[in-house]
Parts: sequence; structure tokens; C-alpha cells
Amino acid sequence: MGDYNVFHHMPWSGAYAIYFFVIGISAALFFFSALSWYRDDFKSLRTSAFYVSFGLMAAGGLLLIGDLAKPMRFLNILNPFYLNFTSPLAWGGLNLMSFGAVSVAYFYMMRKKDDTNSRRLAVIGSLLALGLPIYTGFDLTVHQNRPVWNSPLMPVLFVAMSLVSGAAVASFLAGRNEKLLATLRQFMLWSAGAVGAMLVSLLGTTAYGGAGQELTFMFMTSGALGAVFVGLGILLGTAAPIALLLAPYGRQQNGVLLAAGLILVGGMALRYSILVGGQIVQTYF
Amino acid sequence: MSELRLSSIETRGVPGKKRYAMVIDLRRCIGCDACMVACKAEFDVPLGVFRTWVPYRVVGTYPNVRKQFLPRLCNHCDDPPCVRSCPVGATYKVEDGGFVLQHYERCIGCKACMASCPYNARFLLPKHRTYTDITGVVDKCTFCHHRVTQGLVPACVQTCIGRARIFGDLNDPASEVSRLVATLPTQVLRPEEGTKPHVFYIGADRSLTEHGRAVYSAPEVLDADRAAFNRNHKG
Ligand code: SF4
Ligand code: SF4
Repeated sequence: MGDYNVFHHMPWSGAYAIYFFVIGISAALFFFSALSWYRDDFKSLRTSAFYVSFGLMAAGGLLLIGDLAKPMRFLNILNPFYLNFTSPLAWGGLNLMSFGAVSVAYFYMMRKKDDTNSRRLAVIGSLLALGLPIYTGFDLTVHQNRPVWNSPLMPVLFVAMSLVSGAAVASFLAGRNEKLLATLRQFMLWSAGAVGAMLVSLLGTTAYGGAGQELTFMFMTSGALGAVFVGLGILLGTAAPIALLLAPYGRQQNGVLLAAGLILVGGMALRYSILVGGQIVQTYF
Repeated sequence: MSELRLSSIETRGVPGKKRYAMVIDLRRCIGCDACMVACKAEFDVPLGVFRTWVPYRVVGTYPNVRKQFLPRLCNHCDDPPCVRSCPVGATYKVEDGGFVLQHYERCIGCKACMASCPYNARFLLPKHRTYTDITGVVDKCTFCHHRVTQGLVPACVQTCIGRARIFGDLNDPASEVSRLVATLPTQVLRPEEGTKPHVFYIGADRSLTEHGRAVYSAPEVLDADRAAFNRNHKG
């Protein structure tokens, strides 16, 4: 009782979590399409994965622009006199736009059946695609005052989350191609395992951190975010699919798809709770 | 002893440059909120958001209780993370004086600066305003740059009835702020963030400067207000 405070809201709303989700999937799917030039089992994904990647990239870009308070000024990001390279957002904007440009060129070369250039663009595009989860991770990492975000794990965690969610979507595109499904199953297993391991260390450092971190840990486990973060993100979306994929049923098509569905639910939940988790405590400061 | 300077953006102790700072002597603050009103009037600050605000907390157990105030504003940090994180350079630091200001016409409203400020000093202006045409961009305290460059003190300092707010150039050893900072124990908010804040407090209470456990179970009386605030101020 007897407190008077001015309220503050979280600067970055849930829309950013959706952006992280779709752009992560888009990046991984581009990578799988590119992989088709080097590995036969991925051949059937070449165009389908690319189309979905392209659609998600466009949706993600629009989402990001739509979330700006001044959407039309997104062009300022292109102004070399304004660009501030100490901000990961500036790098991210350029990364996203060059990824878009390379995607268009890749599409064009594939349509022309120019295999040499398609291959080249596949490699360049994959590197730019890798940059997307890395920069989104850095977007959070650089804020030294934010619990959870301010960890060198973030860019790596986002790469792993991108791979696992991307492989999940790809397994829906794989149809009855058993060889491909087996490879995607491996991708999901290893990257979900990496996500799990990183979450454990993230939770450990958060729990034993300073007052703000400790409170954040409480919010994310036993507090308001507990159901989403622990329930959906860790248990249902990471631990359960790993267990499922390891079981005999997880080697069948339906098992892989069920695990993929859970992974997608978990991927969204994790991104949302990491984004919001880093902001809760400070709204009370 | 001067503080260690780590980044080239810092101007504390740089000869020939001004480095404005505010000292808030909490022993003199009576919580009248006149500074909040003066600031609102000076800048037509919209409803629900503040460039300066005076939160209070009642600490202690009856009969030993005390109302503890902590006037807040942008700290015009010497190494401001908000400036680092703005992708388009819309947030910048004035080298001579240390003001952290906004290029309103450049700001794209990405809120990266809000995410990086450890003090909640920044807010988004609403899309529609009656008297002012600066809308939909991020805003914050300017240390009354327009007044200070005319030789006046900030509006909140001018109006402070208890003379709790004192403003001046910390690089001038003869200024009142220099004397206060040199001779009295002062605190800044969240020094561990490395921002080098330039709002110094005399007698700040821990119950207001630290994250308390109360955050986890915030008083329910505020729930309705918070819900209304969230409804009307979407990030
Ligand atoms: S208090 Fe916040 S807004 Fe003000 S200079 Fe420091 S980081 Fe920037
Ligand atoms: S909201 Fe405006 S001032 Fe803040 S970081 Fe984005 S562009 Fe810069």
C-alpha cells in the first residue's frame, strides 16, 4: 500500500516474437533449399522450401515495418547518412534487405535454369540467412540492462531455434520422402538438444544473477510467464519432441510430424517468453 | 577523483567542454510534484507519460514510517546506451554540455532506445496531439536544452519549491553541482550498467533505487490503474 509509481510499458511487444519466429523459419528454409544443390536427399525441398521461405520473409519484413511507430520512415534505415553501425538493428535492416534481394535473384536464376548462378546465390543467400537469427540474437544481447537478453548465448540460441523450427516446417513439406524425413529428424534432434542445453545454462545464470535477474527467473518459471515458458516452451515444445523423436514411433512419418508440430508451438512460446521475460521487471523500476 | 573514462563519447572532465548534471537533494524534496507540472507545461507532455516523475514509497512499519520520494528523469548518461542502439542516429549526444537529445524527424519509432535505457526515461508520443505536431516518435527529458543554452536552468529546477534540484556544469569546479558532488556522498541509479548517469542523488533510499521483491507480488491496488495504462499506451 501507499506506493505511487508511474507505469511503463514494454518497448517490444509480442509482434517482435512473431517476427523472430517467422524470420528464423524463413532463414532455415532458405538454407535447406540451398542444401539441395549439394545433397540429393534435399532435392525435393528446393523449390517448396524456397517459396515458403520467401513468403515468410516478406511477411516478417512487413510485420517489422508495421510495428514501427513511423512505418514509412523505415526508408531511413537505407540512408547512409543516418545509419548508426553501433546498433544491431542497422546491421539487421541491411541483412534483411540483402537477403530479400538475393532471394529474388535466386528465384530468377532457378526459373532460368541457370544452375551455376543458382548455386552461387544459394551459398550467398545461406550466409545472409545465417545472419538473420544471429542479428536478432544480438538485438537482444546488446541491452546490458536486460536480464535473459544480455547473454552471449542469445545469437547462438537463435540460430539453433531457427534450425529446429525450420526443420519442423520442412518436414511438413517433405511428404513421404523417407530419406529426407530421416535427415530432418536428425536436424530436429540435434538442434532441439542444443536449444535445451542452452536454456538450462540460461536459466542457471538467470536464477543466480542479480536482483533483477532473480526476479525475472521467478516471473519466467513460477510467475506470469511460467506456463508459456516452462510449460509450452521447455516441456511441450523441446523436451517432449526430443523424447518422441528418440522413441520408435518418432522414426515413422507421423511421429516426426507430431514432433515437428510440438516444436513449432515450443519455438513460438520460447521466443515470446524470452522477449517478454527480459522486459517484465523493468516496467516496475 | 575523476571517474575513469572508457568511451570516446564521454565528456566528463574533458577540458574546454561543459558537462551538465543535476543533483537532487532528497532531504529537501517534499513530494509536491511541482517539477512534474512545470515539465508538463514546458513541453506539452501528453497524458500518461512523463519526462520527469516523482514516485514515492512508504517505508517502515507504523509508527516508524516515512514517505520516500525519488524524482526521476533522463540521466543524460555520459555513455548512453540509447545513443548506441538507435539504428538511424535519431538519438544523439551533444558533445558540449552532454545533453542526450532526439532528432524527431529522423526517429522511425523502433523503440530500440527504450529497450536499452535502464531507467524507463523514454516513451512513445501518441499519434494525435492537440497543440504539438511532434507525434508517434520517442521522446524524453532534454535537460531543457532550449532553456539552458539561453542561460536559464531547466523548468523543474526553476520551480522546485524546496530547492531540491540543483543544476549546473560538472566540468566547472566552481559550480554548485561540482561542490555538492565533491563534498557530499551522492548516489546514481543503477551504476552497474556502466551508463555514467549525470543525475546525482543525495540520500536516495534503497527501497526506490533497487528492484525489490515486492515487484513479484506488486500491490493489487495498482492493478486496475496498470491495466488502464496498458490499454491506453500500447507499445
Ligand atoms: S537515462 Fe536512458 S534515455 Fe537518458 S541518456 Fe541514459 S540511457 Fe539514454
Ligand atoms: S525509436 Fe527512434 S530514437 Fe529510438 S532507437 Fe528507434 S529510431 Fe532511434
